[in-house]
Amino acid sequence: MGNRVAVVGIGQTKHKSKHKDVSIAGLVRQAAERALEDAGCTWKDIDALILGKAPDMFEGVVMPELYLTDALGGNGKPVLRVHTAGSVGGSTAVVAANYVQSGAFRRVLTVSFEKQSESNATWALSPRMPFVPHVNAGAGGFFAPYMRLYMERYGVPAHIGCMVAVKDRLNALKNPYAHLQIPDISLEMVQQSPMLWEPIRFLESCPSSDGACALVLADEQHAARSPNPPAWILGTSTRADGSMYAGKDNIHPASLIACAKDVYSKAGITDPRRQIDVAELYVPFSWYEPMYLETLGLCGEGEGWKLVESGVTALDGDVPINASGGVLSSNPIGASGMLRFGEAALQVRGMAGAHQVEGARLAIGHAFGGAHSYYAMWAVSADKP
Amino acid sequence: MAEPTPELLTKSFELGYTYTRSTGPVIGHFLSELREGRIVGTRTSDGRVLVPAAEYDPVSAEALTEFVNVGDEGVVTTWSWVVDPISHHLMQKPFAFALIQLDGADVAMLHMVDAGSESAMRSGMRVRARWAAERRGSITDIICFEPT
Repeated sequence: MGNRVAVVGIGQTKHKSKHKDVSIAGLVRQAAERALEDAGCTWKDIDALILGKAPDMFEGVVMPELYLTDALGGNGKPVLRVHTAGSVGGSTAVVAANYVQSGAFRRVLTVSFEKQSESNATWALSPRMPFVPHVNAGAGGFFAPYMRLYMERYGVPAHIGCMVAVKDRLNALKNPYAHLQIPDISLEMVQQSPMLWEPIRFLESCPSSDGACALVLADEQHAARSPNPPAWILGTSTRADGSMYAGKDNIHPASLIACAKDVYSKAGITDPRRQIDVAELYVPFSWYEPMYLETLGLCGEGEGWKLVESGVTALDGDVPINASGGVLSSNPIGASGMLRFGEAALQVRGMAGAHQVEGARLAIGHAFGGAHSYYAMWAVSADKP
Repeated sequence: MAEPTPELLTKSFELGYTYTRSTGPVIGHFLSELREGRIVGTRTSDGRVLVPAAEYDPVSAEALTEFVNVGDEGVVTTWSWVVDPISHHLMQKPFAFALIQLDGADVAMLHMVDAGSESAMRSGMRVRARWAAERRGSITDIICFEPT
């Protein structure tokens, strides 16, 4: 497991559809400055910069890690870039944590971002390639058939996805950084929203956001000196998987099951439902919440939707999911995974503000990317391991 | 029976997307000043003037907020002669890519010099901006530099 490592600084921007007032550098800078301030650090205190973002085609900036070196104080330091599509915010945090665990760096600034207003990410995800018919499905179009498969396999009523959509938007109202703020959100509003990628409705989908997230990770000695409570990282894991190989179960992907098992084993989690106080899961379409509850072992197969229906995953439930409002409320793609990891850490630090889950001691962050191709997770605790 | 020989296929394709770029206030000011026929840099924490204007200090990482006007003349610090421009080059006759340190700046910036011939180029030569008649807030508002 290596040296102890903790999250000692968390920063994020207000997420919104267009941050036209700032350059990409200006955007990531806001998150980085807030993380440094939380950590009580200056730029000089940072040993290395580890940057993650979704594919370069999203903004058309090739080598953004170089472009951002000045803005993130990286000159003369190790500057590394992580690529794992939409999960990249999570896997970047994992890479940063692993470097501190290894002893290579003692304090790392890790940053992720997306400025979706500079591009059209949906179509950058599905380029027209030779020898392959261009189906123009977009992101939701790829996942929609698996939503139906889930509903049919387990006899899930259609309102479950709408309930998740309402719950996350209610949580977002308590998070000033969340993009979507829909004060009068209701089940009827979601049910009456247009069908986008059948059976996924408009309000069951994530928005397109500009935003950034930054974390400062520190070793034990520096964590002890940090001004605010640290979130100790108990375990990290990443897994990759082909997107459409024969036998792949896209409802309960084997790679995510393995990723969760790995994190739970490192973190000493044997009964996830009882031990995990709050989870931030990468849910860009509402149906992923019940599916992930099952895949992550928070309930049995085919039972995730019952947890949603009975309010277990609501802010006042016994396993709140996405207290921050989640990806359904803010989706700066490259940062979305790191936001899950950072929000999990905020919860165990007791610093989540109005969306704080009272008494949260153990939390997990989770991210997925590609066509269910990459997974990243970590478990964080208020208690030093 | 003999195995059929697999046919090996190759096909070219084009990939293109459109983007929007938001400059932010610092680069935005640099570009809008170019439109007015002026060149500005930003002053760093150690007093140096960076041109083109930079948003953040490469040494201290602080945000740079002080703009400094620099001249549209300067010195070529080094250069590379392009004998036979291709269609993608902005100049369609032999020219030099050159690092040019403008008067009042502490770093050189990359641009082009129209010197007529390679023999007219040398490191240390003075050059002056040739401004476009219609300027749009782009680095190409400076068409190139020319010997003074």
